[in-house]
Amino acid sequence: MQSTLVLEIFIGVAGLAIVLMLWLANYRSSDPIPQADVSATGYAIRRYWLWTTLIVAVAVFAFTVPQFPYQKAKADANARHYPVVAQQYSFSMPSTLPLNTPIVFDVTSKDVNHGFGIYGPNDKIFSQVQAMPDYVNHLAVTFTVPGHYTVRCLEYCGIAHAAMQGGFDVK
Amino acid sequence: MSQTNIADTSAGKRVMWTYMLTGLGIFFLMVLVGIAMRAAQAGWIGIDPGTFYSLLSLHGIGMITAMAIAGLGILWYFVSRYTPLNQGVAFLAYGFFLAGVASVIISVIPGHYGALWTALYPLPFTGTYWPNWATGAWLIGNSLVMIGFMIWCAQILGALLARFGGVRGILAIDYVFKNREFTQSGKEPPPPEMFAAAITAIDGFIGGTAGLLVVVALIVHWIDPSVAIDPLWAKNLIYQFGHTFANLTMYMAVAGVYVGLPMCTKRAYHTSIPLAIAWWGTLTFVIIAYFHHLYMDFAQLQFVQYVGEISSYLAAIPVVVVTVFGGVMLVHRSGMKWSVGSMFLFAGMIGWVVGGLGAVLDATIPINIELHNTLWVPAHFHTYLLEGVLLFIMGWAFVNLEQRAGSASSLLTRWLIGTGMFGGGALFLLPFYIAGADGVPRRYATEPTPGPYYAGVATVGAAILLLGFLLAIIEAVRLARSKNTSVAA
Ligand code: HEM
Ligand SMILES: [Cu+2]
Repeated sequence: MQSTLVLEIFIGVAGLAIVLMLWLANYRSSDPIPQADVSATGYAIRRYWLWTTLIVAVAVFAFTVPQFPYQKAKADANARHYPVVAQQYSFSMPSTLPLNTPIVFDVTSKDVNHGFGIYGPNDKIFSQVQAMPDYVNHLAVTFTVPGHYTVRCLEYCGIAHAAMQGGFDVK
Repeated sequence: MSQTNIADTSAGKRVMWTYMLTGLGIFFLMVLVGIAMRAAQAGWIGIDPGTFYSLLSLHGIGMITAMAIAGLGILWYFVSRYTPLNQGVAFLAYGFFLAGVASVIISVIPGHYGALWTALYPLPFTGTYWPNWATGAWLIGNSLVMIGFMIWCAQILGALLARFGGVRGILAIDYVFKNREFTQSGKEPPPPEMFAAAITAIDGFIGGTAGLLVVVALIVHWIDPSVAIDPLWAKNLIYQFGHTFANLTMYMAVAGVYVGLPMCTKRAYHTSIPLAIAWWGTLTFVIIAYFHHLYMDFAQLQFVQYVGEISSYLAAIPVVVVTVFGGVMLVHRSGMKWSVGSMFLFAGMIGWVVGGLGAVLDATIPINIELHNTLWVPAHFHTYLLEGVLLFIMGWAFVNLEQRAGSASSLLTRWLIGTGMFGGGALFLLPFYIAGADGVPRRYATEPTPGPYYAGVATVGAAILLLGFLLAIIEAVRLARSKNTSVAA
């Protein structure tokens, strides 16, 4: 998913909801009718409206399940594994990584929780996973765009959290 | 069980106003902290990272606690209208809240604690820049707030079960499954605000238990560092409490809509079958929706990730859809006159929908990969807290004041307050969303570009919002002082 698209969806749907709600509140507001009249129509609409939103929610869930990142690391047995170790306040990881090759990052931490946030050459988030001590998180990716990738810590880890950065080149 | 035998008690009102004013007072102080942080992120004022994270810790727990105290006071009053409640218990809980807040303030201001309100073990012990006692004061302060909350939950749950006929009665089980028999026998389901109270009490008790469990473990580790804690276990419990507590503030405050909007529209907000079922959804799923905080922990049991997405949807969507639909139906062609109270209650529903939409998008795992721990997270929760929870609380307060005064505010006053609270709010919130979608991380004392630019815009927005808030407070004081000119309400 592109996060700019998400932002557009958000602004679009939110805008629509705001306009609709304000319109319903102000529509012929100086010409009141009994509550029973509103309810009669309202309850009929609500039945569809409730079911529609629930069906949309379940459909979105079903649609997104195949895109969950959790199985991907196991899916490709031939993927190359690279260790990433986070520590207050730096990452130890390879400095160059191959293009168009399935890769699995084995991410962990030596001290507290950190976040392994990969930003692409366009400086947008490419992917991320948590770095938790005592656990290894396997993040599968394939880089299709060459260039310099920045890594930023995406979990609060202490005073220099905002300065905890690293990077690697993909070629 | 009819809605007509509602008994207003002075005890109920006393507890409500005490809680509500305390909550709003803490809110005001925490807004100042918030504006300072946003201005620092803009680069307009200098705050060193250590102080920034101390302030962020204070702001996080302080704000959530402020909203919770206010919401709990309102619910306590609503419940007291149906069944007598011992106000001593409410003030005992209140004492715990105040003691907790005091302990937190001591840990943060002189102590410089800075591991945030959802400290993830091995924080707040590793790489600290504050003395060990501050960690203890923080943990003890947190546990006091949790205990206060659980006292409230226990009291209200006990009262509701006794008054409405046990679990079956308060959850309206017979009303839903045996509707015909139920209504034919002349019974009525509990009014909507009692669902809010029941769900808060039940889920709050569960959340408080989880929170106490992990905080006690942390306190044990604080006393004896050789006791190790599993970081994944701790993270689950911290967020079980943190998410539940923060989310429940909405379910507390929305009771103000169920009771306040009917007062504005002179119509009745009835319990319906969809409303009851929607609340069952919240009851069941709000305690497990927190799994979305661990989406990026791939080591977490995988099944739980799936549950996380669907329960995030089902905790929020039905109750928003049903409540807001009902609220809009109430207002639609009711001939309601806009006042600050009705404007806040209605705008709060809009904020709830908008913030909820932001939340539901982020709770979708493929989207979360790009938004997890970016500014999108504070974007959505500030929306529903500032433009939802806060407006419900203030809206309810205004409806009361307006009714007592027998008058409303002038059009100009409403416009000024509205522009401040909603216009300033939008200007404060939109930069969070835009920067978040752009990948700017949350909880950064110094943000990468374009973060500082948006932080500047947001600071202006927050300052305007603060002006609107202060204006509303002045107007509230004016209403509170004005004599009732109409017949006693
Ligand atoms: C005008 C009012 C407010 C301002 C200016 C403000 C400002 C901020 C800022 C700048 C942050 C840090 C964002 C980041 O970089 O991660 C923040 C975080 C937060 N705020 Fe607010 N805020 C306001 C209102 C509220 C309200 C009403 C609540 C809740 C009821 C709230 C609860 C929180 C929480 C829970 C956090 C996250 C703390 C953490 O990351 O641990 N804020 N706020
Ligand atoms: Cu970090």
